[in-house]
Amino acid sequence: MDSAKGHKIIGSELSKAVSDRLGGETLTRCYQCGTCVSSCPVARITDKFNPREIIKLSLLEEMDEVLSSDSIWLCCSCYSCQERCPQKVEIADVIYAIRNMAFEKGYIPNIYSEFASAILQDGRIVKISKFVEQKRSSIGLPPLTPTGVDALRKILSATGFDKLQRKEEEA
Amino acid sequence: MDEVKVGVFLSDCGKQLSEILDFDTLIDYVKKIAGVSFIVRGSEFWRGKGLQSIIDAVRDGKINRVVVSESLAKLSDVKIVEAVGKAGLNPYLVEVINLEEHCGWPHRNTPSEATEKAKAMLLAAVERAKLLEPIEELEFPVLKSALVIGGGIAGIQVAEDLADLGFKVHLVERKPFLGGLAARAGRFFPTDDCAICIQSPTTDVKTITHTSRKCVYRSGFSEIPNLEILTNSKVIGVEGVLGNYKVTIEKKPRYVNETKCVLCDKCTAVCPVEVPDEYNAKLNTRKAIYMNIPNVYPPAYVIDQNICKFHECAKCVEACPTNAIELNQETEQVKLNVGAIIVSTGFEEFDASVIKEYHYGDYPDVITNLELARMIDGFGPTAGKIVKPSDGKPAEKIVMIQCVGSRDRRWKPYCSSICCMISLKHAMLMKSIYPDADIAICYIDIRTTGREHEYYYEEAREMGIKFVKGRPTEISRDTQANKLIVDVEDALLNKILELEADLVVLAPAMVPAEGTKELAEVLGLELCEDGFFKEYNAKLRPTETKLRGIYLCGGATFPKDAPTSSLHAHSAAVKAAKFLTTGKIIKDQRTAIVNEDYCGDCEFCPVTCPYGAISLEEIGEGHFVAKVSDILCEGCGICVGTCPLNAIELRHSRPDQMQAQMRGLMSVNGTSKPLVLAICCSECGHAAVDSSGMAMMQYPANVRIMEVPCTGILQVHQFFEAFRAGAEGVMVVGCKSDGCHYEVGVQKAEKKVELAKILLKEYGIEPERLGMFNMIFIEGNKFVEAAKTMTKRLEKLGPLQLMSGS
Repeated sequence: MDSAKGHKIIGSELSKAVSDRLGGETLTRCYQCGTCVSSCPVARITDKFNPREIIKLSLLEEMDEVLSSDSIWLCCSCYSCQERCPQKVEIADVIYAIRNMAFEKGYIPNIYSEFASAILQDGRIVKISKFVEQKRSSIGLPPLTPTGVDALRKILSATGFDKLQRKEEEA
Repeated sequence: MDEVKVGVFLSDCGKQLSEILDFDTLIDYVKKIAGVSFIVRGSEFWRGKGLQSIIDAVRDGKINRVVVSESLAKLSDVKIVEAVGKAGLNPYLVEVINLEEHCGWPHRNTPSEATEKAKAMLLAAVERAKLLEPIEELEFPVLKSALVIGGGIAGIQVAEDLADLGFKVHLVERKPFLGGLAARAGRFFPTDDCAICIQSPTTDVKTITHTSRKCVYRSGFSEIPNLEILTNSKVIGVEGVLGNYKVTIEKKPRYVNETKCVLCDKCTAVCPVEVPDEYNAKLNTRKAIYMNIPNVYPPAYVIDQNICKFHECAKCVEACPTNAIELNQETEQVKLNVGAIIVSTGFEEFDASVIKEYHYGDYPDVITNLELARMIDGFGPTAGKIVKPSDGKPAEKIVMIQCVGSRDRRWKPYCSSICCMISLKHAMLMKSIYPDADIAICYIDIRTTGREHEYYYEEAREMGIKFVKGRPTEISRDTQANKLIVDVEDALLNKILELEADLVVLAPAMVPAEGTKELAEVLGLELCEDGFFKEYNAKLRPTETKLRGIYLCGGATFPKDAPTSSLHAHSAAVKAAKFLTTGKIIKDQRTAIVNEDYCGDCEFCPVTCPYGAISLEEIGEGHFVAKVSDILCEGCGICVGTCPLNAIELRHSRPDQMQAQMRGLMSVNGTSKPLVLAICCSECGHAAVDSSGMAMMQYPANVRIMEVPCTGILQVHQFFEAFRAGAEGVMVVGCKSDGCHYEVGVQKAEKKVELAKILLKEYGIEPERLGMFNMIFIEGNKFVEAAKTMTKRLEKLGPLQLMSGS
């Protein structure tokens, strides 16, 4: 159904790409019962996140809508949905697979981008601020020492993460 | 043995075939084959003058082996074999081949090549015919009696059918009363009548039985002559074979004499032991001496031996006015001898308590459909009122949850198929009792297939029953208000709902009845992955099993609604009656035979035989040999293919017969292409070849067809024999991997082909010269494709180089 609005539905570009990824294999099992949604603590407080809908849109090949949406980044990875899914869809893992695809396409919220560069630079997600240092010394904790960031960089380069991140930064 | 005199009867199919094949050449060729003493050319041999010429030749003693070439071999085969038998020759000394579909039609564009192939086919047939041996017919007795296991709606109907037809029927029910799950359901869809209502048997003289239907207990069912009902009884042993089973039944004591009990209720009134009533979902209590509901069969109380204090108390004995209570009854073993067994053990509800988030078994107000059915039933624990079990107050807000444990990969992956209709029926019954009740059904998909079923869905909506598309994640409890809360997303609204409920009704998956696995072991029957009994063939033999003589019906094979269970019961009855009615089984000895001199102590064939036809018998001290049961053997030859010592053969497909056939087929080429032997199973493989011929599809004449009972008969060395006989390539053509007519034969063949390929490589022969092909009848085009591909492949490989001595 190639309608004027550009909805795909026929085809398998997105659903196949997700199913082929680690964690995305169980996508096509979904029969839309919504157990994931009623199990989800995020969906309870905001209607911006609906795991069933992410899966439905993926199955209907709505590539841009899925990859560019903010909602895929709202999953808190509590795995409640996955525990209760009667079709054993690995929902949280499917969402991770989709996030990876989004990341590769350059769809990434700023906060995650910042996290990524912080990891590459310091080996930490959260930068060490003066506030943190003061707080630590006030309760008698020793100052933070540099992490083994060289080893981490090696790992990140082996996985290709650094290149992706650089591409993201250039963009 | 007399001198072999082969008669060859060549049909030119109304002179159509002789337009392609040169019949004069063929007749000259056949004349020269040693042992051929009689040749006739005609236009048809399966009827009329042609058939008479065969009969005359046999009667006059001119021939003692018959080779016929006819079209559509499968049909003409029957007529010719039958006529030869009547003429006084053993009917298994006949070899019918098909020069039309296997030669003339598929090679019509290369007539001279076709004629050469026909020569090879005729030589193969004559050589095989010369080696054929007479095969005898055996007769086995069939007792005109049947055992029906399970007295629910299916078992009752199959027992009634068979007893009405005059067979002796023993109906065995595990529980103290007949009725099974159906009776507890109260009412049925789509007839909206009582669950325990059955058709009056034809022996019921009180009513006009064609139109009458009545409760089980007053239908006259129990009074059908020939029918014996054993309740509180369990089948614990079955020995023997079809037609003659020896059955052992353990009959637990009832402690109440069925013939004396007058149902006055005095015993239950004085009984001091009281327990929750499991029949009524523990919503009420019952005594140690009890009945489920008043209208059951047998009409007599029963004592629960697990809780009764017996002689310590004996109050009921004193109270009983007819001395019906017999506390000294003991467990009996009943021995029966029956010809057939029908399994109608049914199904039950899945234990929903394993789904922790629904708190079944923990929150009293979470119940199942069957428990709700007991409440709705006027005879039930609440006399038709819908209440909260926790406090007995009326339930006004009711939430129903579908697919509890079913369509769930963690528990039961299948759809139980009847729960949507059960819930709709229940919702509507509740709504009609309490029009103000607030009822919502949470569903994933509503499935209402079947006549009138969709109207239930329609009417339910009209009645104001609400439908929420979503599977709840959890049921929680507000203990202060004594309310339940159901968390569910309505997927159509994209909204999470918190449904308040007095009562939550689960629709659990339906699972095989308790004891199914145990009974399967006793009967030697297979179960499917889902735990239900496996039918022989879902399309053609839905009520039969792999074991002839044992039948299935009702929910024993899968959850069913009442109409389907009835259909199933009547089907099983016809199948069983068909088998029982003659009083005997006539079966020819086209079976396996063991050479005891070679057979030695391995267990390959008894383990491999799909029909359990082979057992090991001790003949010397510690020396075992295989014994084949002629009644169980289906003549497939899988045992032959499995035997490592060549100690087992099929009477109708001996190795020398197969070899002679193979050599004949490879004796003449007549084409410029490499010879290919296509070994086809007699079922789908051969049928695919037939269908390619019928459709006149063309493939080269170097491809020669050899039929075997099942590809499972093949041994690795036979592929080498084929190469030695002149084949440059071998095709094995069998059924689909999961569609073998003999269960596992084609899978065995696939493995042997793989193994042979490794060996071929060792001998310096290209493994691609051997190929396995799986197809079904309608795939004639696939056979043609495979034949062409194999031929091209061999042409590319060049001539086969056999090392001397290999």
